[in-house]
Amino acid sequence: MEDKLHRYIESIFEDTTPTKKATELKEEMLLNLQDKYRGLIEEGKSPEAAFNIAVASIGDVRVLLRQLEEDSHLQPDAQRLEKARRKSAMLTSIAIMMYILAALPVIIFETIGNGNSEAGIPILIIMVAAATGLLIYNNMTKPRMLHKEEAKIAEIKDKDEENEYYPANPEGRKMRASISTALWSLITVTYFLVSFTTNMWHISWVIFIAGGLIESLINIFFAAKNKGE
Amino acid sequence: MSIASDLIRGHTDTIILACLMDEDNYGYEINKSILQKTDGRYELKEATLYTAFRRLEQAGHISSYWGNEMTGARRRYYSITNSGSEAYRTLLSEWKNAKEMIEELIKVKENE
Repeated sequence: MEDKLHRYIESIFEDTTPTKKATELKEEMLLNLQDKYRGLIEEGKSPEAAFNIAVASIGDVRVLLRQLEEDSHLQPDAQRLEKARRKSAMLTSIAIMMYILAALPVIIFETIGNGNSEAGIPILIIMVAAATGLLIYNNMTKPRMLHKEEAKIAEIKDKDEENEYYPANPEGRKMRASISTALWSLITVTYFLVSFTTNMWHISWVIFIAGGLIESLINIFFAAKNKGE
Repeated sequence: MSIASDLIRGHTDTIILACLMDEDNYGYEINKSILQKTDGRYELKEATLYTAFRRLEQAGHISSYWGNEMTGARRRYYSITNSGSEAYRTLLSEWKNAKEMIEELIKVKENE
C-alpha cells in the first residue's frame, strides 16, 4: 500500500519539469503522506481506508503545480528546454531536406540511365520513409513542455479547430499529429511512385485532393470521438 | 462547515506562522496539531499547506531545512524568521480588530 502512495505522488508530479524544487516537494509530500497513512493505520483504519483518506487529504494541487512550473521557467531548466527545442528543429529540418532530396536519384537516373528512371524509385522510397520516421520520432520524443507551448500557440491560431478536431489529452494530440505526418508522407510517396511508373503526370496530382479528403475524414472521426468522450 | 472552512482558509498563513512560533516543525506535524487544536473539525488540505509554505518562504517569513530524524526518516522542517514573527504579530492584531468589528456588526439586540 505504501508503494501505492509512492505511485500516486509520482502520478501527480508526472507532468512537472523535474527541477530541484519539484523533486524536493515531491519527497516532502510523500514523506508526510506516509506519516499520515501510518497514523491512520495506528488509529485502526484498514489499509484501503487509510490510503483513501490520505489521498483525499491532498486536495487540489493545481495551484501548487502551476507555481512550480512558473518557478521552473526561471531555473536553468529553461536551457534544457532550449536544447530540446533545437534538437527538435534539427530533426525536422533534416527530414524536410530528405523529402526534397528524395527526388534527386530519380532525376539523376532519368538523365544518365537513358530514361530508365525507375531505378531511382527505391532510393526515393527509402529516403521518404527515413524522413517520415524522423518526423514521427521527433514528435513522440519531444518534451511535454514543448508540446504544451505549441498547443498554446495552436489554440490561439485556431481555437475552434483545436477544440473540435483535436483530442483533448496530450497523448491523443501526439497521435493525431503523427497520423497527419504519416498520411501526407504516404501520399507524396504514392504520387511519385505512380507518376514515375505510369507517366500519368497530367492526372496523378488528384491524389493530393484525395489526401485532403482523407484528412477531413480523420478530423470527423476525431471530432466524433471527442464528443463521445 | 464549508463556510467555516472558507473563513479559516483566509487565515492559513497566520495559522502556520502561529504553529511555528513555538518551535520548528514539518508538514505532517503542523497539520496534525491543527487537527488536534480544532478537535478534528478542521484540517488543511496538503496542497493548501504546501502552497502556503512556498508563499511564506518566498516572502522570507519562514525558512526550511532538511533534518535527519533519529529514526532515519528525512523530514523538511520549517522555522519562522524575524520578519515572520513580525508578520504574525501584524496578522494577529488585524484579526483581533476584524473579529471585534464583525461581532459588533452581526449582533442583534434580542431583549428589547
